[in-house]
This record gives sequence, C-alpha cells and structure tokens, in this order.
Amino acid sequence: MIKNCYIHIPFCAKICSYCDFCKVLYDKKFITNYLNALDLEISKIYNNEELETIYIGGGTPSSLSYSELEYLFKIVSKLRKTSDYEFTIECNFETITEEKLKLFKKYGVNRLSFGVESINNSNLQILDRKETKNKIITIMNVARKIGFNNINIDLMYAIPNETMGVLLNDIDFILSLNPEHISTYSLMIEKNTKLYIKDIKPINEELDYEMYKLICSKLKKKYNHYEISNFAKRGYESKHNLCYWKNREYYGFGLGASSYRDNIKYTNTRSLTNYISLKYDYYNEIVTKDDKMSYEMILGLRLLNGVSKEEFRKKYNLEIEDYFDIKDLLNKNLLIDDGANYYISEDKLYVSNEILLNFIR
Amino acid sequence: MKQANIRNFCIIAHIDHGKSTLADRILEKTGSISKHELKEQMLDSMDIERERGITIKLNAVQINYKYKNEDYYLHLIDTPGHVDFSYEVSRSLAACEGALLVVDASQGIEAQTLANLYLALDNNLTIIPVINKIDLPNADVDKVSGELENLGFNKEDIILTSAKTGIGIDELLESIVLKIPAPKGNVNAPLKALIFDSVFDSYKGVITSIRVVDGKLKTKDIIKMMETNATYEVLSLTINTPHEKEVKELSSGEVGYLYASIKSLEDVKVGDTITTKDNPAEESLPGYKEMKPMVYCGIYPIEANRFDDLREALEKLKLNDAALTFEAETSKALGFGFRCGFLGLLHMEIIEERIEREFNIDIIATSPSVIYEVLLTDKSKMMIDSPTKMPDKSVISKTYEPYVKTSIFTPKDYIGPIMELCQDRRGTFINMDYLDDDRVTIYYKLPLSEIVYDFFDKLKSATRGYASFDYDFIGYQESDLVKMDILLNGEIVDALSVIVHKDYAYKRGKTVVQKLKEIIPRQMFEVPIQAAIGMHVIARETIKAMRKNVLAKCYGGDVTRKKKLLEKQKAGKKRMKQIGSVEVPQEAFLSILSTDEK
Repeated sequence: MIKNCYIHIPFCAKICSYCDFCKVLYDKKFITNYLNALDLEISKIYNNEELETIYIGGGTPSSLSYSELEYLFKIVSKLRKTSDYEFTIECNFETITEEKLKLFKKYGVNRLSFGVESINNSNLQILDRKETKNKIITIMNVARKIGFNNINIDLMYAIPNETMGVLLNDIDFILSLNPEHISTYSLMIEKNTKLYIKDIKPINEELDYEMYKLICSKLKKKYNHYEISNFAKRGYESKHNLCYWKNREYYGFGLGASSYRDNIKYTNTRSLTNYISLKYDYYNEIVTKDDKMSYEMILGLRLLNGVSKEEFRKKYNLEIEDYFDIKDLLNKNLLIDDGANYYISEDKLYVSNEILLNFIR
Repeated sequence: MKQANIRNFCIIAHIDHGKSTLADRILEKTGSISKHELKEQMLDSMDIERERGITIKLNAVQINYKYKNEDYYLHLIDTPGHVDFSYEVSRSLAACEGALLVVDASQGIEAQTLANLYLALDNNLTIIPVINKIDLPNADVDKVSGELENLGFNKEDIILTSAKTGIGIDELLESIVLKIPAPKGNVNAPLKALIFDSVFDSYKGVITSIRVVDGKLKTKDIIKMMETNATYEVLSLTINTPHEKEVKELSSGEVGYLYASIKSLEDVKVGDTITTKDNPAEESLPGYKEMKPMVYCGIYPIEANRFDDLREALEKLKLNDAALTFEAETSKALGFGFRCGFLGLLHMEIIEERIEREFNIDIIATSPSVIYEVLLTDKSKMMIDSPTKMPDKSVISKTYEPYVKTSIFTPKDYIGPIMELCQDRRGTFINMDYLDDDRVTIYYKLPLSEIVYDFFDKLKSATRGYASFDYDFIGYQESDLVKMDILLNGEIVDALSVIVHKDYAYKRGKTVVQKLKEIIPRQMFEVPIQAAIGMHVIARETIKAMRKNVLAKCYGGDVTRKKKLLEKQKAGKKRMKQIGSVEVPQEAFLSILSTDEK
C-alpha cells in the first residue's frame, strides 16, 4: 500500500549554478499544459490510497503564479489524505508572498521547506543566488503568523572559498530563525551544472569534514541529528523523506519524477515536450528481492537509528547478519549492534560509503 | 636449385624506416604475391607486432626472380628489430650472405641500425645501402647519403627507393643479384644446417627455420641437434613463397622450414647446428650462445583463483618463446604467482601484454630486477633474481651487479642532457664518435638496473625523441648494494622491495614513498608509508585518513543513481589488492620504477 506521494514542479524563476535537478526556466505558456499533463498522470496511476505524506518539490513550486498554484492545488486535492498527514511544499524567498502562503494554508499544506542555502555574499555569488536576508526574516514571521509550525530550512556548505567563519555565521542566522527542521547540503559539483562547466573545483576533503563536524555540533544542541544531512526538533523529522530512507514505495508525479511501485522504480521523462504530450515514462528498473535488501541497508543506514532487525526480518523473512556478511564490520566497530538495530556511529557517517559497499552484492 | 643462383639476405632497418613495406613491395614486384593478397606488412604475423611496428618472430621467404633470362632464388630472411632480440638477429644474419641497410630519408641513421649494421659486418655480410622513403616531402637524400658515406659506403652504391610508390625496387633487386655473393657450401659434405628461428604451432608442433650451409637435408632423414643432442625424423620440409610449399630436400645454400615431431622448443635452440645421425658433421657452426634472461619480475594474477590460468598462459607463451623463463613463487603481499625471466624490458612488456590481451588475465607485475651476484662470507656465490632472495647483510661479503655498454645515438645538441642523465644513473663515460658534423654516438658504461627503470623514457624526453640507444652486456662489477623495503602501515610489502645502490637508496626511497602516497587512495585510517634498509627508516610519508566518502544527499529521485555510484566504487575496489588492511591499486607495484623527484 503506497502512502507517500511526490509531485514535481520543474519551473524556476532563475537557474542556480549548482543545480542538477530537473528544472526549466519559468515560462507562462507551458504551465497550464504542464498541470493538465500532471492531472492526467495522477488520475492514470493513483489508486486512491489514503496518503500519509504529500511533497511538492522542484524546481521552485512557489514560482508559479497565484492562479497557477490554485489550479495545482485543485489537482492535488484529488489525493486522499490520512488524518495525521504531512503536506510539504518547497518555496524560495524571492517568489513567495503572503497571499501564496495563505493559499497553501487553505489547501492543507502544513509544512514549508525554504531554500536559504547561505546569506554570505561570496557564497551567494558562486551559487548564483540573491541576497534575501531581510525578506527571509519577514516571510518567516508572516508564515508563523498564518500558522505554519513546521518549517524546514536548507543550508548549503563546502562552497568554494567558504571559510569556517562564513559557515558559522550562516548557521547562526538559520538558528535565529528557529525552524523545526534543517537540511544540510555539502555542495556537490555535478555534471551539467554551471559550476562544472566553469570548472570550479570542490573544497578540500579536510575542510569539508571540519564543516560537517561544525554543523553537527552546533545544531545538535537544539535538534536531533536523525539522518546524515538532516536535523529536526523532536517529532518534526520529515515523514516524507523517511519513506525513502525506510525503503518504502511511493508515487512520484511530474517531469523527471521517480516513483517506486510494485517493486519497480520508474523515472519519468526529463523532456518537457514529451511530458506535456503525455509521454511520461522513460526508464524503469525492476527491483528484485536482493536489490531490495541492498536498498534497505544502503538507505536505512543513513539514519542515525539505523536499520531495525525486526522490521528487516518481517519484510524479508531473513536475518540481516545471515544475508549480509557483516562480521568484519562489527569487529571493526564500523557497524554497531544495539540489540534492536544496526547503525553506523555518527563519527563514521561521513565515510559511510566505505561501509555501504559491503551491502552491494 | 643451383647454389650460384641463390641469394640469401636480410634487411637491417630502424623501426618505422620501412622494412616491412619494402619486403611487401619486393614480394609484389617479383610476382610472389598478388596485389589483393597483400596485407600491409605481410611478414609480421602477430597483432602486437603490427601495433608496435616491431618484428618479434622471424620469417623467411623465397622469392623467384628472373634476371637476364636466368632464374634466381632470393631468400629474404626477416630479422627482429629490437635490442632485446639481438642474439636472434645475429643468428638470422648468420644465415645470410648479404644485407640491405635501409635508412629513412627523412630520419637518417639510428643507433639500432648502426648496432645491427656492425653485427652484419661481424658476420662478413655484403651490405647494400638503401635510402628509403625518398618520396616524403621532408626527405633529405643528400644528408642521409652523407651519413652513409661517413660509414664507408660509396655514394654510387646507394640505392634510392620508395617502398610506398615502388621507386627503385627493380634496381634494388638487380643489385641483390649482382652484389650479394652466392652461398659457397659444400653439397657433398656432411649436413650442417643453422637453426635461426623456431616457433610453436598448435597443429604442427615446433616449426624450425633453417639455413643449410653444407650438405643436403631430405625428408625421413634422422637428424641430430648438435648442442642438445636431440634426434628426430624429418617429417617434412617446406619453403615459404610466401605460400607454404612442400619440398623433398633442402641443400647447401637453401633456406626453409623443417617439421619433425618436436614437442618442445627447448630441444630446438636458435643458433644450434643440425646434422644427420648417420653421417654427422665433425664440428658445429660457430656462434652458438645460450639465451639467458637479463631481467626478472614477478607476475601475479589479481584474482587469486586465476593462478592456474596464469600458469597455462605462461606455458603456452613459452612454447613460442624459448627465452621466457618462469617458476612459481609466493609473495606475502600478492599470494601465488611466478618469477619470470626476460631478455629485456621490451620482451617483458610484450609478454605482460599478451597475458592480459590473449589470455584475459588481469595481472600485477612487480618491478623488474636484474640478476645480482652476491659473494657470501663463506666464499660461496649466489645469483639473486628477486629482492626477496637477498640474504641478510651479515652474511654478505661483496655484491656485484651487471653492467652494459650503451651506445646512444643523438643529434649533438642533446649531448649535455644525455650526459647528465647517464651521470645521474651511475654511468661512466667511455667515449664519443661523430658520425658527421651534426650527429654523434655517445658510449657509456651503465649498470643494467639503471636502464631497466625508465631510462628509455627519460632519454626520449631529454632529447625530444631524437636519440636512440642500444646496449651490450659487458659483465659484473662490484657495487655497494642494499635491499630497500617498503612498509605500508608498518608491514613490509615484499612485492615492493628493491635492490638499490647504497648511495642512491635515500633518493629512491623518498621518490617511491612520495609516488605511493599519490597512488594509494585514502583509507578509513591513516596509513604510514616507509622506505627502510634493514631496521633503518630512510623515508616516510603518510596517507591521511579518508574524511569524506558519503552520499551527502539522497532522496527519492537519487536512490537508483546513488546505488549505481556505490556499485562503481565497489568495482573499483575489486581492482585493488588487499595488503594487510590497506587497499593498494595495481599501479603501486610499478611505482617503485619511478625516478621522478618532486
């Protein structure tokens, strides 16, 4: 039974230098056609389940106009929700307005996710983003007033030329906003991004790790470090993202969106033209039981709590230690057994790939 | 076949100076082969040869040529073109009465050509100088002919050709008939035939290339190898035209192939003399030498379970290559493998490449080592072909290493850098010969071990590719040698140990640990790399612990891609060798060769 749904809005008012997500520049003439196609995709695939989470991501969903957003929410309203649902929408401070926030509230959105990334000018220049510090403070106040009590802020670090001092300042600013949830991103220079084309080099490994340690130590005072890059006040962990890390199935609608249904991972087309002409799917991968168990560990070990032995047993009828050879990992303390769960200790998370390789068969 | 109408000759040329094309053109001109049969470089049969432009195995072809209404039989004997095979070259020269000295009109004479020319003169061959590629826009016929004149040739004897377009080929054929002497063997004497090559064919067994010097060889004869004393019945005799053709007999002056039920190349040694059992010759032909490996290295399968496949591959290669030796050895670091002996570096590279390419086995080759001689305190002698066999310092009285005389042929502008390089490699200057105003041969005495490393690459870069070199083994000389070990994470990696001159150990140690630091990726923990002589550490570097190897973000859309990334990382690890707790990439085992200082 699928309980989670992702919806992708690929439009952005401008393109950031680091972004390799599926996105296109906002263009009014495509929006209605796109939303029509989205509507059709949902009605074709959605099986009328009650959903625990809906997540509208992008792109920049808040870059749509008020009326376009209204149309989007009408489409999304066809999705049934449980009583304790989580409904998130991603926004940026340049395109969000009080009216839009009120519209979100009206249609049941109860979690906002803001991309702040950094307030440092040098960082913002490299990322091709605008300084919005004052707007951020204003909008946060407005959002609180309207009644949003579950807000995520994104923080980016390891940006070329960034120093520990700059990062500390960014962290302090984000803490001053007192969000319920903070997602961090170590800047990756991915292919097909402006940074990659400009041949910008990543910062050195040592500094990157120092920055990560700084973030963890600063945020841990008020937040629960629950996933490699995610921090939340107790009870505010992202339910939607937990569905990925717990290897559950999910819907994904929209351009380039991925979904995981009936043991198949689908990826939608990244071509807007194809999508609008209703040619949605371009790639799928059948997930065998072996793959599934690999995913279970690779994803689950991102969580500080790790993977529950009992859940694994229930799902696969196997013991983790019987299926995977983990003796060596346990001996070297790379994997820790607390009786109920296997997990990676916090100080090894930043080199966790070395550990995860043991779960690739 | 009348002996007076036979001409046996070979072609001496530097790589790429057009030997094979010239051979092709001669075959075509004489109608031995039709144009559509003509593959580029007909005589080279192995892929690697063609790619590298080197002739590794020999080949002999009979060409019928009509001159002034008289039938002549020209035997073109192909020679290998590299210094590692100089003994094989000298034997195929011994099968000839003449040689074409082919020089590229744009490049001029190279060291290798000179070396082979001297070999040919030693064998009393008549030399026809040929300037080839005269059609090239940058051909400088006057300059090259000047070089040839400096070597003692007459200008009017030089033949100008373009093997590509066919210019001068007729003239060349004529002069082969007119200038190269016919063989002068005694048909009625007891059989003496020179073995100048042998190859293993999986259908026919060993095929032996022979030149009959005296007497006659017929099918069903019982033959005897004078060196190995092996006897066989001749099953068949053939010639190569270049189509295989069976003949009843080969007599004095003729060249052909011999088949007998010989199963092992060991019985058929290049340079040996074949005679008949019933009417044996009294003396064998002069010049036989046992071929001895000069360079050794360890070859290990990356996947331990392919040890048997590796053995099989070496056995198969050995069938075609008597100079290759191997015996099983064990390394703590690399497991089970083989200590292999080669004639030289090129020979080594070719074998390594063939194992990977033809037998599909991923291998790790340890750094090449020469054979050192150790005099122990009890006056006994040891030959050391692997650093791991070096005895403890306390029982060593003296150490010796092999030396070679190198001749480096270069434009005079590069004399300085070359001398610097040779000096740096513990060389002793011998002398210098000017070929003309511009070009010079520099002679140096050098330890062979210094050439085994990257000498050739360094020479090429110091002279922008203009210099060429050749070397001859001259003997062992006392030398203060020590064994240098490399320690990873405190443990000696036996496969990385080397024998070095004591005065140069510090420098080498430093270079090697630096190189290893670059090559070995960061591990989960800090890894010290040390170079040590005995207990004494002479160089040290540290590979810092890995700080970041994480999929920092992973949400719905990333999942598949991230798993692929991990799969890729895992595949990368498979290509590494686990040594103790350290994962070491293959290249590390060759890093020991590196002499570049930072």
